[in-house]
Amino acid sequence: MNATNMLFLDILLVIALLSLAWATLTATDARRSVILFIAFGLVLTLAWARLLAPDVALAEAAIGAGLSGALLLAAVQHHPRRALSSERQNTGKLANEKQNDSNPADLKSSVAIRWTLTLFCIALAFVLIWALLQALSSETSDTLAQSVSANLANSGVSNPVTAVLLNFRAYDTLLELAVLLTAVLGIFALSEQRTGYLPAGPVFNGLVSWLVPALILMAGYLLWVGAHAPGGAFQAGATLAAAGVILRLAGKRNIGLPVSKSYLNIILVIGSGLFLLVGLTMLALGRPFLDYPPAMAGYLILLIETAAMISIAATLILAFLGGRPRNREDRSC
Amino acid sequence: MIDTLIWLVALPLASALATQLLPRYATAIVISTAIATSINAAALLYAVATHGVMLYQIGGWTAGLGIALRADGLSALLLMMAAIVLLASSIYASAYFNDNPLRRRFWPLWLLLWCSLNALLLSGDLFNLYVTLELLGLSAVALASLGGKTAALQAALRYLLVGLLGSMLFLAGVTLIYAGYGTLDLATLSRVVAAGPIAWSALALMTVGLLLKTALFPLHFWLPPAHGSAPAPVSAVLSALVVKATFYLVMRLWLDIFSEVVTPQAASIPGVLGAAAVLWGSWQALRAERLKLLAAYSTVAQLGYLFLFFPLLQALPAGAARDAAMGGLVILALTHGLAKSGLFLAIGIIQQRSGHDTIRDLDGTAQRLPATTFAIALSGIALIGLPPSGAFLGKWHLLAAAFSAGQWLWVVVIMIGTLLAAAYTFRVLGHAFGQQPYPRHPVTIAAEEWPALILSAFATIGLGLAGAPVWQLLKVSL
Repeated sequence: MNATNMLFLDILLVIALLSLAWATLTATDARRSVILFIAFGLVLTLAWARLLAPDVALAEAAIGAGLSGALLLAAVQHHPRRALSSERQNTGKLANEKQNDSNPADLKSSVAIRWTLTLFCIALAFVLIWALLQALSSETSDTLAQSVSANLANSGVSNPVTAVLLNFRAYDTLLELAVLLTAVLGIFALSEQRTGYLPAGPVFNGLVSWLVPALILMAGYLLWVGAHAPGGAFQAGATLAAAGVILRLAGKRNIGLPVSKSYLNIILVIGSGLFLLVGLTMLALGRPFLDYPPAMAGYLILLIETAAMISIAATLILAFLGGRPRNREDRSC
Repeated sequence: MIDTLIWLVALPLASALATQLLPRYATAIVISTAIATSINAAALLYAVATHGVMLYQIGGWTAGLGIALRADGLSALLLMMAAIVLLASSIYASAYFNDNPLRRRFWPLWLLLWCSLNALLLSGDLFNLYVTLELLGLSAVALASLGGKTAALQAALRYLLVGLLGSMLFLAGVTLIYAGYGTLDLATLSRVVAAGPIAWSALALMTVGLLLKTALFPLHFWLPPAHGSAPAPVSAVLSALVVKATFYLVMRLWLDIFSEVVTPQAASIPGVLGAAAVLWGSWQALRAERLKLLAAYSTVAQLGYLFLFFPLLQALPAGAARDAAMGGLVILALTHGLAKSGLFLAIGIIQQRSGHDTIRDLDGTAQRLPATTFAIALSGIALIGLPPSGAFLGKWHLLAAAFSAGQWLWVVVIMIGTLLAAAYTFRVLGHAFGQQPYPRHPVTIAAEEWPALILSAFATIGLGLAGAPVWQLLKVSL
């Protein structure tokens, strides 16, 4: 495609993103808002792909649009459908306050607050755009990208994104896995698994028996290919979790996750645990923390990513389930 | 020797995973980790005092490409305070959650919080700081929600949303810095950063995000309900350490990395907000009906004092006067951390024994729980800033800095705040010493009463009489 066509595509993407964002924010119904948000995520995926950032595009499609969308839909499902619209009638009043007799003075002041906030956000956006343009036009030598490519040969992988995530800045990724563990422990602290979802009919079941193996295969591929092309543990974990979500929607209880607390704990902990263990082993060998020997780096990264994928997928599925898997049969509702 | 830095992060993390896998041995794992990490923190403090700034390059990559951990006097002192508070609170919590099914969920999150605090205080990289902020925020919210009641859940949800907004603003600032300067390493950044639209807007974004998490007036609205409805050891750590960690980052940014960028006008903004926090927080603490809310509002006020230092440090030229004021700021923060955690632990005991923490109905507490009442009195002394507490030294240097910088207005604020602090402390003690004709004598559990007493005594006597090393250590800076 020539440059004019690309410009046309870019303008189309920008218009679509802005109007989808506006529609998401102004939708009167929570479910409609969520669906528009998923659409927004998909268009954003295209935008990332257009910006030549396929890794980000994959993550946005799998996690931003896909799993976040599924989580939001599940949340809307278990929330009274009128909640958002009744809140809207009260314009800004909390849902637990009086529902119907909002007096006009309150209404007027909250409309004023809303417009003030909108104007403030627009002003903030312009300041940020201005600062960002300044930043982009300033003469920064891109030394960091240069040193990444200079050290890529010693990192054990040939995909620079994976090299940064699992080697140069592996410590960040280790702490991010700890963040995921914290999130799932927080979910456990709050609630039990949600009930619901009828067993699927024959047609959906047929689709499931095709989709789930394909998704598992794809997760394995994404994990393997991450070493030299866009992919990796986070995308693979999200794909695996998508298989779990589909199984759950088809009414499968606990979607294959162990009910036993100790087995489940192993699955949740293995990602950060193995990562930490590798790091500490390097310490025991007299090397700095997480300093892999260059000859072993590729294998160690694959090992860490496999364990991370399992924990990531389990975390995302448990977030969708809303709590620990249970022994009891699902109540059909 | 130099491995202490990574072990301060790795050991709590490893133990958090171990407690999740082996809940039966959780208490033993936590207590031994707490002791080992405290020894580690002390070793780091000693190493910084003798060898200067400590550096650890993770993965063997040079800082910039990889991530570096750094410790100077300031971060080592705060790490030591965190270790003391968390060790005492861990012992307290093992008695507090005894036979409570919540314990299973409590310990892994507790250690993850410790891991994130240490990681934040040691981090030398802007993006890594964002990750530690997320870990800190999430584990704090999960711990705060363990109270289980609707009020606790509502407060925790608000805390979560505020925390996420704060992290997002911080991340936006980090993005601008990376776009403008092409580095995330703090040491490199402090060399290349220059006054201009990029630095100003990045600093503003990061600061607003951090102030939201630090609960500086008027962004404090989420703090009293969250700190007031969490379990006692969690409230102690939230008030003493979690808000202090984000305050540390504000300090690092304003007084260290962006010190060339900050103008006197800009530095007066945190000062004015701090003054408002002192007055409003103290007033609300005086009006509070529950002890825990009193302690939470007192945190809002005490954080305000710390921000009063910003315009003064900006105005003072580098030299002895500025170093003295800097030491005052740090010792005030340390004293508040120890005293407030002691206060919250003591309140937790009263709440468990009498089933409530309404200030009006405290009569007879001094008869029933003499050690706990003593702990409340000691921490009250530190909150007011009476000698020999560390806060006395802190406020003394704050006043001295206000006089030598010629900024008289702050003196009035400090005096009103101190009077209000005395009023709310004596209001509690007045009720606690009310006599009951037939006092009950419940069982005293040493593991519960001692930590509160030791923390308050450390704040009031230890830091006050042996505070000089703080000034020595602060000379070791990045």
